[in-house]
Amino acid sequence: MYSEKKNFEKNQINQPASGITRRNFAIGAGAGFVSLSLSNLLFSSLSMAAQPKKGGKLVYAGSYLNSKHKSLKNAKHPYYGIEIRTRNTYNALTWVDEELNVVPEIATDWESNQGQDVWEVTIREDVKFHDGRPLTVEDVIASYNLHKDKKLGTSFVKKLVDKIEKVSTNKVRFFLKSPSSEFAWNLAEYRQAIMPAAPLDEMGFLGIGSGPYKFAKIDVGRRVIYEANEDYWGKGPYLDTLECVNLPGTNPLNGYLSGQFDVLAAVDPSLINQLSATPNTKIDIAKAGDQIMMVLPKYEGSPFMDKRVRQALTLALDREAIIRIVFGGKTGWASNDTHMAPFNEDFLAKEPRNIPKAKQLLAEAGFENGITLPTFYYAPYVPEITRVLSVAAESVKEAGITMKIEERPMAGYRKWRVENKEKTTKHRFAMGPVGPRNPAMNLFRMARPTYNESGYWHPSAEGDRYIELYEKAMRTGDPIARRNIYHDMQRILQNDVPAIFLTGRRETIAFRSNVHGLKAHSQHWSLRFNEVWKS
Amino acid sequence: MLIAILRRVGLSLIIICLVAVLVFLATEVLPGDALDVFLTSDDLMTMEAEDIEALRHEYGLDKPAVERFWQWFSGVVVGDFGVTFIDKTPVSDVIWDPLLNSLLLATVITLIAIPVALAIGILTGYYRGRKADSMVSSLAIIGYSIPDFVIGTLLIMFFAVWIPIFPALILVFADASVLELLKVSLMPAVTVIIGHVAHLSRLLRVGFIEAMNCEFVERARLSGIPEKRIVFRHALPASVIPSLNSMALFIGNLLSGLIVIEKVFGYPGLGLQLLEAVDKREVHVVQAVTFLGAVLVIGMNLLADLAIIILDPRVRSHKHE
Repeated sequence: MYSEKKNFEKNQINQPASGITRRNFAIGAGAGFVSLSLSNLLFSSLSMAAQPKKGGKLVYAGSYLNSKHKSLKNAKHPYYGIEIRTRNTYNALTWVDEELNVVPEIATDWESNQGQDVWEVTIREDVKFHDGRPLTVEDVIASYNLHKDKKLGTSFVKKLVDKIEKVSTNKVRFFLKSPSSEFAWNLAEYRQAIMPAAPLDEMGFLGIGSGPYKFAKIDVGRRVIYEANEDYWGKGPYLDTLECVNLPGTNPLNGYLSGQFDVLAAVDPSLINQLSATPNTKIDIAKAGDQIMMVLPKYEGSPFMDKRVRQALTLALDREAIIRIVFGGKTGWASNDTHMAPFNEDFLAKEPRNIPKAKQLLAEAGFENGITLPTFYYAPYVPEITRVLSVAAESVKEAGITMKIEERPMAGYRKWRVENKEKTTKHRFAMGPVGPRNPAMNLFRMARPTYNESGYWHPSAEGDRYIELYEKAMRTGDPIARRNIYHDMQRILQNDVPAIFLTGRRETIAFRSNVHGLKAHSQHWSLRFNEVWKS
Repeated sequence: MLIAILRRVGLSLIIICLVAVLVFLATEVLPGDALDVFLTSDDLMTMEAEDIEALRHEYGLDKPAVERFWQWFSGVVVGDFGVTFIDKTPVSDVIWDPLLNSLLLATVITLIAIPVALAIGILTGYYRGRKADSMVSSLAIIGYSIPDFVIGTLLIMFFAVWIPIFPALILVFADASVLELLKVSLMPAVTVIIGHVAHLSRLLRVGFIEAMNCEFVERARLSGIPEKRIVFRHALPASVIPSLNSMALFIGNLLSGLIVIEKVFGYPGLGLQLLEAVDKREVHVVQAVTFLGAVLVIGMNLLADLAIIILDPRVRSHKHE
């Protein structure tokens, strides 16, 4: 058996070398932030030292509405609730922390076989569900039988998990359909909640989990109120009541300014300055967040069939200008034409902007007088997206590229993306947001030559090589060896440019200065409130 | 008179059917469907095109538009608004609480707006040409010219952010009690009332001035009838009649007019439900809400016609003829 636990420990040790701990980040960035007149910004870590106080109510406004949330009858289910931050009520086997390391939750450790397709996971024995029942391996097995169910289950598990069996009273064994060297990260996904065993079609509807808060009241599509789980096995919860408000299309800023909310859980970058000037307000900025991707529609007659055009476009884009103009230099990051986040050790920096080379590539492709690209359609997933694409379009003009952009409604974006069901490779839609995950999951998004709905990949020799490398990485237990493979994969993407990744936002939260223990998370869905308290 | 009313009711039913067809066509033009909204990027990452088509078939989204429309409309005829596409929740369950909330807000607005407009209209009409009339008339024009969402935003800025005495957003549950809703409904109500009072009071002022200039008022004065009696017993009923249709339309349009305000304040009403349904491509919910709106407008128009018949002897005698 190969011990994945060792990998976990290694990652933990390596992390400071790769970048920054939260404390170091706070200290190091402090001077810069002061010089930017953000004098009232204080990082939550500084207040972490104080003794947590129990009691009180915290109301936060979240802006990531779960598209699966429809009605009261399934609103407590981990798949269908209004709040995709399911960790309020549920636990999964693992959790991805603010540094994007996988850490234990219900699982205490995990290890895989040499082939990376059988994983044994040990679970905690001191966990109770909200109804007082102890959480057992039978519950874990039942939960994963639901998650992998073809009709009722959830995407990642359906694809990956073949079966799960009991090894002992505190250990389960997963048999995977194909090797997955980063399976532990997968177990942290927000829908993979551990619930009390029950018939599959009944599981999850009662909202009983083992998380720090219990469901108290739900207003479909708008609000959910939680109350503290006094028997929680981990740290906290310190608040008596936690409330999530998610009013679709309504600006939560007014609610914050008028004192109705304690926390804005996802802040539009354009509001940072205003919020910074708001009294008694702290802002915490994560290292990364969702990034903005441009699908390059590849169909007969499309200029994007020519690799040189795709390369020219990515070389002409001024990502630094986008970060400066749209994100004020603080809340954005430059991506590398893959889904990887820059602070990840496996991230491979891309070639910088190069206008002469972009022009040369266009000339070689027969566009020496410049090129007008097909219109890029996009939906307003994040408020800053129009600004990002506008700056992008302006920046490529220098290389003789005319890039038209047009907004389309959120709900209809897939129809704009795909011309019809028979011609799924004939993309119309040209942009999508993607959240940061671990390298395996990030890079898998491009590894789909057979189904091209999202337009990430046009079948090609490079595509085949990419898939080969991906499969090899999934069989490779050693993280250092895997990193080399990931770098090769990123080189392919950067050379072939099947899609362009413009920039990403750094997830930002704003909260009142009497709120403590709250940290922004690059994965907005992984934000936890169990250690949050109010003074 | 009965035949006239029956004719109006029949015409109203035809209009409602046409509205239902138009709404359906409008929702068909929108790109995407309920499944498009339901599936996340993560779902798509692990799904094949055939999987999506199978789901579309399972939810009945691949049925021809005419079949889907007929299935819904034949249910409506017997009082069944159908179910939502993805989770099969009865549409009536989805819209019931928001409908009651919107009706409550509309009632509050009506109960305040019409008497206030009447009072202002009569006073400014009676004291026409004076400073107070000029000032109120100018304010009315301003009030009428500013869109509701601007008034709402200004009220939020003044009374929720700068002087925090009211909530900027309405955080009550959709099934909240009437009392809870009333407590937080003042700002949304005032937002709508300002514009409508301005509009209605202008109409009433003109009607009142016309009535006061009529021959029967002059004769009443010459007969020595007290001024108060002339105003309230003779001029007022005559001045209200021209505004009745406007008042009926105002009430009838309140539900649709509240959409913007519900969005600005986050009021848990039918307007917000409609916007959400459009976003989620829940065509049956959109149709049901629009259908109810159309019924309300048509119903209020009918009531206005009846009121005119009752209040205006000229119309009554004309009908009798």
